[in-house]
Amino acid sequence: MPSKAAADTPLFAEREEWADVQPLEQYEGVNPIAPIFYSPEYKDATGYFRAIVQAGEKSARVLELTENIIRQNPAHYSAWCYRYETLLALLPPPAEDADAGAQPDIPPLLAAELALMDELAVTFLKTYQVWHHRRLLVPLARQPRRELAFIQRGLAVDAKNYHTWSYRQWLLAACYGRGAAADPAMPDAVLDEAAGVWAGELDFVDAALAQDVRNNSAWHHRFFVVYGARGQADSEAERARIFRRELIYTKQNIAIAPSNPSAWNYLRGVLRETNTPFAAVQDFARLYAYPHSADETRDVVDLDNPAPGADAELPCVQAMEFLADAWETEAGAEMWKSLANEHDTIRRQYWEHRIRDAHQTIKPAVE
Amino acid sequence: MTQLPRLSRAGHAAHCKRCLSGLPASQTDIDGSRLALAFYCIGSLDLLGIVEEQVSLQERNLWKQWLWEQQTHGKYGTGFRPSPFMTAQHISSKEQEQVESEYGSYDTPHIIMTYTALISLAILRDDFATLDRAGLLRFLSTCQREDGSFSTVPGSNESDLRTLYCAFAISSMLNDWSGVNVPRAISFINTCRTYEGGYGQSPFCEAQGGTTYIALASLKLASDAFGRTGYLTPSQQQETVQWLLRNQASSGGFCGRTGKDADACYCFWCGAALKILGAEDLVDSNALASFLGRCQFKYGGISKAPGENPDPYHTYLSLAALAMYPPHLSDTDDNARSWRLDALDPLLNAREETTLWIRRHIPVPSNGPS
Ligand SMILES: [Zn+2]
Repeated sequence: MPSKAAADTPLFAEREEWADVQPLEQYEGVNPIAPIFYSPEYKDATGYFRAIVQAGEKSARVLELTENIIRQNPAHYSAWCYRYETLLALLPPPAEDADAGAQPDIPPLLAAELALMDELAVTFLKTYQVWHHRRLLVPLARQPRRELAFIQRGLAVDAKNYHTWSYRQWLLAACYGRGAAADPAMPDAVLDEAAGVWAGELDFVDAALAQDVRNNSAWHHRFFVVYGARGQADSEAERARIFRRELIYTKQNIAIAPSNPSAWNYLRGVLRETNTPFAAVQDFARLYAYPHSADETRDVVDLDNPAPGADAELPCVQAMEFLADAWETEAGAEMWKSLANEHDTIRRQYWEHRIRDAHQTIKPAVE
Repeated sequence: MTQLPRLSRAGHAAHCKRCLSGLPASQTDIDGSRLALAFYCIGSLDLLGIVEEQVSLQERNLWKQWLWEQQTHGKYGTGFRPSPFMTAQHISSKEQEQVESEYGSYDTPHIIMTYTALISLAILRDDFATLDRAGLLRFLSTCQREDGSFSTVPGSNESDLRTLYCAFAISSMLNDWSGVNVPRAISFINTCRTYEGGYGQSPFCEAQGGTTYIALASLKLASDAFGRTGYLTPSQQQETVQWLLRNQASSGGFCGRTGKDADACYCFWCGAALKILGAEDLVDSNALASFLGRCQFKYGGISKAPGENPDPYHTYLSLAALAMYPPHLSDTDDNARSWRLDALDPLLNAREETTLWIRRHIPVPSNGPS
């Protein structure tokens, strides 16, 4: 992808300050498979890059050269790798009198790199290498809060981007997870903010789901925050409080959008994680697994079992599937029949398989 | 009975041949993964069953030569690089020889390219006489990291389940697992499992169809090699089947994550994962074919969704999905023949006949053919 920046600047071959370098053309053997018809700009920059790598030069101009290549081909992993090593060579060593746990000042070179990465990550949101480079910078800058704010901006552009969410999960686990406290190089300031950061993540998920309650990445993130990164709470009372909170949260969101597979998957996940039988929430699921009935009453608000709205599309396939899994096999069969024949015909073969299976030994995954 | 268009085999073959003959500058980002693109093209021709009849012997030999040229040796062992994109053309032949005899630190083999090279060469029915098996094992072991995962190239922090699968597939092809620490790798796979029943790309990541296939294929390759079963409990297996099946959208295509749009490549990833779990009879294959039929591009090639531009990756994976899930059409249907493809081995992701060739020619000859 020839970028604008590359087209506007002169070729390296035309620049005085690169006159001392003899570019090295790319070797192409016999009859190449799928040769790329490179642009002159790309040929030019990579020719100089091969020469620089061969000479082992790690100077400021290498940063310019690798940036130029990356803008033309963000998946050029060798350019990323060499750029990182050049940065390491150019950054001042950590001050000797610095206390190991202190928050370091950010040298200007690193600050510039972070700013550049903020720009490139948004331009090349789907390129693996952009994110891997970013991860390498985290231990150098040790400012995870800055990264969290950046990710928030990135998700505003693409709310389900896999790389962006993965980066957030990696960052949280690496800087605020169980292992971080044991890392002697982790600044005290970072460790001190952990509790607040984790609490903030729940608000972060809330905001994402308020935008789009079907955003599975946000649901997954919630599970990661509540159960994944730090495991279950130590005290039984705390575990019970969290369990109740998660159930209410999920049920309320199901009430808003009943046929939301992400929320039902989350409900299943919480129940399994806490070894709770699915049958424990069957009263709730039942409200969603049948068509609206004439004698529905909405006067009583039951916090434990929030009811679907009057305009909700019922029955909801996910509720039917959930109930069938919760029930003893025979009772579930009716539900499966109705899924197979009417409500979820694309999975007909599967539902019929469940019915056949119910007569055999395999029990549903509820225990 | 579903009404399907024709599978436009000739168009898809032409798309792949066009890409093999050259790519425009707009695809410069393929530079670091060219060999994988070659695999998707050659693999598509293999699935269509036309490698021998439509590619001349001379051309096949030239392809093999180029593929072998990517096998490089050096301090981290032997493997295949994506292309000579980091290899310099030297004026003196002596320097050139030096470069060709040993790779530099930034021109190393790549684990994903190594896997795709071996399959591509098997498709071309190479005898693997020049395969450096010992060097390959050394390369795998330098790529494995403390946590059991594998880096794409030695020393890189880019590591996830994709590379682990490649290491397992290569070990399986060599019929020699001494290059990898299997228990450590399997515990890495297990940490990628999520509450939804799928696997994410790395620990803590969201369940995704591609990495779920990768995880299940890796576990199965290992259990086939070591005669061990039960890497998944029956209830885990059930959860995974359920999650995978739920990913088939009403359009007939599969999505890669809960609630996302269907995408042709996930018809393979989710479909192959289901096949590995023995649940292939539970997939609605007619709906799947009808979705892929609509992803066909007018001038050849298959795209990720109807109306998008085609590419070899989605073309190959769609054909591979169809090889596992042929639509059930009546014999009187004029289009029925166009959808018929040879059987696919979901574990190595190759036509079954190609897998047989691999099993016969890639392991060390002494303990090889029986
Ligand atoms: Zn895709």
